[in-house]
Amino acid sequence: MILELKNIDKSFGEKKVLQGVSFSVEGGKAFGLLGRNGAGKTTTIRILMDVFPPNAGEVLLDGKPIDYDKIGFGYLPEERGLYPKKVVFDQLVYFAALKGMRHKAAAKAVDAWLERLDMKEYRNKRLDTLSKGNQQKIQLITALAHDPKIVILDEPFSGLDPVNAQLLKDVVKEQIAKGKIVLFSSHQMSYIEEFCDSIAIINAGKIALSGDLRAIKRTYVRDRLVVNTENPAPIRTDFGASCTVRENGSLLIQMKSPEEKTAVMKQLIEKYDVDEIKVFEPSLNDIFVEYAGRQV
Amino acid sequence: MRQFGTILKFELKGYFKNKIFVGITVFLVLVIAVSMFLPNIFSSIQLEKSPGADEQHPVLLIYAEDAALSSLVKQYFDKAFPDYQVKIASGSLDEIRQQIAAGQAECAFAMDSASSYTYYVNNLSMYDTNTAIADTVLLDVYRFTAMTNQGIPPEQAESILSVPIDSKTVSLGKDQMKNFFYTYLMILALYIAILLYGQMVATNVATEKSSRAMELLITSAKPTSMMFGKVLASCLAGLIQLIAVFGTALLCYQINSSAWGSNELIASLFHIPVSLFIYLLVFFTLGFLIYAFLYGAIGSTASKLEDINTSVMPITFLFLAAFMIVIFSMTSGNVDTVLMKVCSFIPFTSPIAMFTRICMSTVPWYEITASIAILIVSTVAVGVFAAKIYRVGVLLYGTPPKIGSILKAIFRHR
Repeated sequence: MILELKNIDKSFGEKKVLQGVSFSVEGGKAFGLLGRNGAGKTTTIRILMDVFPPNAGEVLLDGKPIDYDKIGFGYLPEERGLYPKKVVFDQLVYFAALKGMRHKAAAKAVDAWLERLDMKEYRNKRLDTLSKGNQQKIQLITALAHDPKIVILDEPFSGLDPVNAQLLKDVVKEQIAKGKIVLFSSHQMSYIEEFCDSIAIINAGKIALSGDLRAIKRTYVRDRLVVNTENPAPIRTDFGASCTVRENGSLLIQMKSPEEKTAVMKQLIEKYDVDEIKVFEPSLNDIFVEYAGRQV
Repeated sequence: MRQFGTILKFELKGYFKNKIFVGITVFLVLVIAVSMFLPNIFSSIQLEKSPGADEQHPVLLIYAEDAALSSLVKQYFDKAFPDYQVKIASGSLDEIRQQIAAGQAECAFAMDSASSYTYYVNNLSMYDTNTAIADTVLLDVYRFTAMTNQGIPPEQAESILSVPIDSKTVSLGKDQMKNFFYTYLMILALYIAILLYGQMVATNVATEKSSRAMELLITSAKPTSMMFGKVLASCLAGLIQLIAVFGTALLCYQINSSAWGSNELIASLFHIPVSLFIYLLVFFTLGFLIYAFLYGAIGSTASKLEDINTSVMPITFLFLAAFMIVIFSMTSGNVDTVLMKVCSFIPFTSPIAMFTRICMSTVPWYEITASIAILIVSTVAVGVFAAKIYRVGVLLYGTPPKIGSILKAIFRHR
């Protein structure tokens, strides 16, 4: 299963919100859609879900225009919100039924999910009596109860404590393992890095970078080494200006070329007391700042 | 279609779980039930009170310097004022004034002659008809005396003066006197229901928006399903409420019909022709829908609940204007004025204007058919248009958008 967005253009009035946005997401893999506030992520998601049509471009599933009546989307919006005054169970069944489930099947699925997320005791409570984190778990059920093929999670981890975050991670991993298309949108790079095989960075309505995350990282010239040591002073003295100290206290050594790698590593191991040496790879955070921070 | 059914069921359930909705319905049903039992309650109270009730009647004083005149007037006033204790005043005019001021007597007639008097009363009520009655009586007395003085025997004079005029009225069309009350009641019910439920629909949509449930709804259901589901649910809830209230009234009336027996006003209400009820249902449903769609669309453009009251103002005024036009023409007695005829074909005024004309006048069938047809087509059109506004409106946050920018957005999104 492959979901593709091809050359999507969208403008609101005079304002061009999206320009030629293209990317593809594979089933069984997680995809991270990144971008700064106002870059066009939510608009992209809304077009993907047919809330409004694009001015140009198309959304394809397995090469064919997507049939929205057949394909169920699961969506966790960034702006969370359900019916605060209504009973949790009732509204969950309602949303599952809106997605096309029969009432009985919806009730069964909702109960199973309440159990899975440890929320059974809140089944018959009004939503506004729940804590924010618990409301978020309820909202997650609206995205998953109808067993959608495509799951879109917008900032799923915000507001969750570590235990609930772990629970959510497990749930997301299950969904990926089931072969579903999982699309993440988040500012929390560590989570994206943990889950996503591929990413797309939107900057000012255009795709600034997209592709397999590991491949992207490989494109950076591997001419720097990260060195962890208890005793950095002698290394710093010997390497001079080509050695800098990173924020976490480790050393970053700039080589003349990537080919020097083996020789420099050997030299470090033999001459100094080092705990760890590895080739420096930029974190997603570094990549994001580099691409999303560019002025257009 | 199933999605629409799901929404309709959910929204309807929402109404029946809403404490205010249930509370108002129960309250109205109780009020109606109690008022239908009123004649029975009153008659049982009156039965207990009836002995000595005569003494409760207020005092009417007659003052004349000529004793013969005062006793003659008393003789006639006794018959003419059965709700008063008619007494001949004993003191002077000043004393009579004091008695009236002190509340010992309600009013007094100071006779200057058989055809001239001064009426004294403490507070002159808007509905005081005593002088009119006295005028008629005194005129009769004057004529009677004049006739007997001319030598006509008293019996003959009596029969000349009291010859009964026998008249009959045959109304070939509608009897406005009879129909006025129930027409007014039905128009009022329609007016209140539309304003109340319209506001509810608007609030309902705005609440979904402000709680951001909309983000999920708009990606789960088609805007048309959302709009029609919501509005039809409110219409059904309104109809059920009306049926509960009028049903209770009808039921309690049946139980108490003998006690109400002589009250024509109430009797007319419960003998409304079936055809009018069908018209009521048609105009109620269509009128309700067309306004509810507008309210729903307006609700979708507001991002805070506080914005609603100002946003719905134009619709409320539009409807209020329609209501005023209808009420004024009803009270003027002519519901077939040009204005009313025009209003009975304009979709936003026709539900009440045409309905009023059907109730109180004779309207050709083709006019009724045309009016209903126009209304049906415009209701569907307004519904579809409202769903379009809704689709655009629900995604707009911040200050309520101007009409122009909404229209632009609709065409932009096809």
